[in-house]
Amino acid sequence: MTELIQNVIDGLGRGSIYALLALGVAVIFGVMHLLNFAHGELITVSGYAAYAAFSSGWSWFLVAPLIIVVSIVSALLIERVAFSRVRGASDFTLVLTSFGIHFLVSAVFVMYVGARVKTFSEPGWIADTYSIGPIAVEVFDTVVIAVTIVTLLATVAILQRTMFGLALRAAAEDFDTARLMGVNSDRVIRGAFALSGALAGIAGIFWLMRAGNTAPSAGIDPMLKGVLAALIGGLGSMRGAVLGGLALGVAEVVLRSQLPGEAAALTEGVVFALIALLFIFRPQGLISVAHAERV
Amino acid sequence: MFPELRRDVAFPVVGTLVLFALLVGGGLLYSALQDGAASDKLVTSMFIDAIMVIGIQIYIGNTGVFSFGHVGFGAIAGYTFALFAIAPAAKATRIAEAPFGLADVSTGPVTATVIAVGVTLVIAVIVGIGLARSGARSGAVAATVITLALLFVAHEVARSWVAVTGGDRAGLTFGIGDTLGSRMPIYLVLLATILVARLFAQSRSGRFAHAAREDDLAARAMGINPTVQQTVALLVSVVVVAVAASLRVYEVGSILPGLFFFNYTLLTLVMLVVGGRNSVSGALLGVAVITAARELARRLGSEGYEAFGVGLDGVPLDWIFREGLPRVVLGLAMVGFMIWRPNGLIDDWELDGWLRNRLRRADPRPTTRLEAAPKTRTELVATDVIVDFGGFRALDGADMVAASDEIVGLIGPNGAGKTTLVNVMTGMVEPSTGKVRLGEKDLTRAPSHEIARAGLVRTFQNLRLFSSLTVRENVEISWLVASRHRPASAVPGIDEIVDAAGLWEHRDRRASELDYGNSRRLELARAAALGPTFLLLDEPTSGMSDEESLEMITQVRHMASVVGAGVLVIDHDLNFITGICDRIYCLDQGAVIASGTPDEVQADAQVRAAYLGSMGPT
Repeated sequence: MTELIQNVIDGLGRGSIYALLALGVAVIFGVMHLLNFAHGELITVSGYAAYAAFSSGWSWFLVAPLIIVVSIVSALLIERVAFSRVRGASDFTLVLTSFGIHFLVSAVFVMYVGARVKTFSEPGWIADTYSIGPIAVEVFDTVVIAVTIVTLLATVAILQRTMFGLALRAAAEDFDTARLMGVNSDRVIRGAFALSGALAGIAGIFWLMRAGNTAPSAGIDPMLKGVLAALIGGLGSMRGAVLGGLALGVAEVVLRSQLPGEAAALTEGVVFALIALLFIFRPQGLISVAHAERV
Repeated sequence: MFPELRRDVAFPVVGTLVLFALLVGGGLLYSALQDGAASDKLVTSMFIDAIMVIGIQIYIGNTGVFSFGHVGFGAIAGYTFALFAIAPAAKATRIAEAPFGLADVSTGPVTATVIAVGVTLVIAVIVGIGLARSGARSGAVAATVITLALLFVAHEVARSWVAVTGGDRAGLTFGIGDTLGSRMPIYLVLLATILVARLFAQSRSGRFAHAAREDDLAARAMGINPTVQQTVALLVSVVVVAVAASLRVYEVGSILPGLFFFNYTLLTLVMLVVGGRNSVSGALLGVAVITAARELARRLGSEGYEAFGVGLDGVPLDWIFREGLPRVVLGLAMVGFMIWRPNGLIDDWELDGWLRNRLRRADPRPTTRLEAAPKTRTELVATDVIVDFGGFRALDGADMVAASDEIVGLIGPNGAGKTTLVNVMTGMVEPSTGKVRLGEKDLTRAPSHEIARAGLVRTFQNLRLFSSLTVRENVEISWLVASRHRPASAVPGIDEIVDAAGLWEHRDRRASELDYGNSRRLELARAAALGPTFLLLDEPTSGMSDEESLEMITQVRHMASVVGAGVLVIDHDLNFITGICDRIYCLDQGAVIASGTPDEVQADAQVRAAYLGSMGPT
């Protein structure tokens, strides 16, 4: 029992980061029907920015906001250069565009920075823990969960209270109708990318703190977590994405500790297979945005 | 299996030989000009990539369903092949502890390939069932997710199941001198692969898959079960991919999890989309172009900007020409083509199709005037149909009878439930209660394609043609369904139908290039080519001028009579409806409020109140 509670708490820490990533994926899917395989590259780019900043002697207090800024700027840049040109294209085109960007970004870093892993120092408190009864809680997880809660509240406020949020929710519900109602599609899509960039930036801070390094292929992992969590949550649904992220985090930790020996290394594969099974057996129930076609 | 031997077998065989000669000739020419083992290796791997890419094209190109997973099938086949083909001595150092006695088996490469194909097919059947259940169709997220999951699970298993795969570090390696020594097997497989891909695309199954790729719903309405065609395409493509993967492992001489993962997925997908995923010629063109571009980039990158004797001394281009350029080129090619040319360099252009068009004499226009087919009287009956959408009751106990020797109209104000009734009859909306039968056959809740095969064929209000297929091919699709599933029906030839629809001049144009009126005519002709017992026409004159509508009356009558079908038609155009119908039903708020001859219905007070309003005669 203690172990389970321990697992759940560890899982929630992890899952919070996934939730932020997944929310970014869901926001983009909502406005563009794009499953963004390039989402993780925001963390690759900010990782290198962090590395450069550390090399010039910056501390985490300065690097953290830098990561957010770089992430937002990169998201907007990718939208401007690539995604704005394939708006409304077939899903085939959209998926391959984002897949291509994913590779392009990592290839550019291989070419100009090198394939080697670049390390930087993690903050001193990363491994500190405190205990509540028999349960050891990481300070890091506590910070992550607290920041995630604040971020989500802020996001909810933006979505509920601002015109942009209203437009975004309307666009996610039915883009064409939203446009007819006067929603400026350019602005909504750019705003969605900025929001997903900001969320990825905050997730990226923690991701990079934990990893303590970056590499050209560093984007694969966060991309997968974000996409998987968004898929669990039903893709278009933002609430679902957050829950999906938390579920994915907890599932990973629990599976890793419960699966026997060799199979534990298969955690990701198991999660992926489970998601595939969900899609096979409940394609309608899972994708809340797939409205029936009118004939 | 093949509709026309000359077009679908003879020309593809010729085209295959030419494509094969071009690719192999080009490769051999290159390695002759660039002597050295490196260029030989490059050309060999290009041939193997070509087999792999065509394998993927067979699925993605014909069905339009996107798959990340084919390289995952490659991983499964590659490991199976390696396990069986590598000599026990070479395995002993890495996987001596392998279960099931795998460390001691050795079957030789041919048997190993056969086993690899078998094992991969078993997995493919499971994945295929999954895809079918999820309702995979072009553009569905589910297919992307399921196939991506396959790629990942295959990769994870390869990494973690060290006892069998040698894991991430060791992998499996052939003994020295045991690898593929000659190119002959590659040539044979390549030739066979191109042929299979071309023949499949021309076959009945391939054509049905194309129809579903263009419009899933319309394909179902024409009696095609897309799931079957997609599964067939998947299995054919997986066989090719498994053989290609075996060859690749045999040629490389070893296998690690990374050999069939993201990088190879990217490479093969770029090759596929650059040339044009919808054609075999395109896939091969993409393989050649990307292999050349990658090699050029590699040499420019590693040797500075002097390669192939071309120097650019003095130009400060060091920032471009450096190591790592090939990957950047691949990424740029993928993004660039998706933005500017998503259908690739040549889209669905096919070498043998082009040859055939060049060599073809003008088709003789059919001379026989089509006679009216004899009609048998069959009744189409809908009884007490109720449909609820959430809280809204779209149909509230609608009853209707139409006989196949008459033309029946269905009118009613917007939202009366006319289209919903047709949707229920054709299996596209499930009724809460009620029955639909055609003759003695109960069609309630039957799937759309079975309803179409039973003889109830519809058209769509919002035009759903197979848009990238030609006019003749559109008609041919349903004609082929008829020849297979409605052998008893008397359907005239394809050309006769195209001609009777007044589309002879346009027969080789793509459906997407037709103007509105001709598109409507094609919808009608395509439905008629199925030799239906009943044609259900959903607003065949919507968007037409008065003159065109009147012409449509003749058209509908003519088409229905030459295939011997009854007609149930929904329309708003009263001149059209009263001009064409023997009887009319008027629906309002989901129920029939009046029926009878056009005059009777027009005179009915309830109808005038609900629908005609002030338009009725005063």
